Amino acid sequence: MNDEKLLRYSRHILLPQIGIEGQQAIVDARVLVIGAGGLGSPAAYYLASAGVGTLVLADGDTVDLTNLQRQILHRTESVGQPKAESGRQTLAGINPECTVIPVTERLQGERLDAEIAAADVVLDCCDNFATRHAVNRACFRFGKPLVSGAAIRFDGQVAVFDTRQSDAPCYNCLFPEGQDVEEVRCAVMGVFAPLTGIIGATQAAEALKLIAGIGTPLAGRLLLLDGLGMEWREIRVPRDPACTVCNGRR
Amino acid sequence: MQVIFKLYATLQDYLPAEAKKTNSFPLEVGPGTTAQHVIEQFQLPQKLCHLVLIDGRFVPPAERATRVLKEGETLAIWPPVAGG
Repeated sequence: MNDEKLLRYSRHILLPQIGIEGQQAIVDARVLVIGAGGLGSPAAYYLASAGVGTLVLADGDTVDLTNLQRQILHRTESVGQPKAESGRQTLAGINPECTVIPVTERLQGERLDAEIAAADVVLDCCDNFATRHAVNRACFRFGKPLVSGAAIRFDGQVAVFDTRQSDAPCYNCLFPEGQDVEEVRCAVMGVFAPLTGIIGATQAAEALKLIAGIGTPLAGRLLLLDGLGMEWREIRVPRDPACTVCNGRR
Repeated sequence: MQVIFKLYATLQDYLPAEAKKTNSFPLEVGPGTTAQHVIEQFQLPQKLCHLVLIDGRFVPPAERATRVLKEGETLAIWPPVAGG
């Protein structure tokens, strides 16, 4: 890191748990953020400002006026633009040291595999179960930690699925595929704006901890946020021995 | 006896009108009432009852029909959530 980077990241470097070594790991990291909406916006803000070297931002949607109430990466003049590109522009203004690679298509198939294989940490900030399961399968296959967040109305959930740990569950252990209910979108149900900020920022915190190798990750624990009562609950999530995704591992 | 009943996210549609501002309300239940009894009383779709918690502790699906509620406990039910 040069002097300017040392200054820019000095408040992280001052933290004994992070220091220069941890910040260097953050600068060297490649992080994949899937979804540049309510969760992906704050997550990408913190990852970019904290110095993640390469941030791949994937979203196949364009910015809509109804997004702006909570999707803080986007501006009024961005309406109609691809969200990934709008996000790249915003993040470039915050930290030009962070290379943002916009993926303006729905990440799936070979491209999804390639991006997950190349990432150090994956953040699932998407809005549907099909993508969540595809991302989980690829994260398991390539041994990548998955920081998963979800939010609707006043309630949110966040967890880390890190199948590199032998006793840690995958996303499918908690939400078995095929038992999913119909997608319920913010467009129908509504979502409290700051809720997405709280959950997305928590995802960024977990990702940075994983990269720097500090603290205790949320692996095997699901945090539940009751936004109306402003109460957090934590439940332990065990591995499902019958899980159709991760049951083959030791 | 009385317990506190809480529903989250999409399940809030099953709350009585007077509970919509807080997502929770006091519920009178008889002795021997289980989480499953309450799920049935409110006609909550089983697929939406993803996580059941009593006083913040997770109740595995196999125990929903046997775990009896006690005076003052909070029964909370979460659906699967995928919004982002």
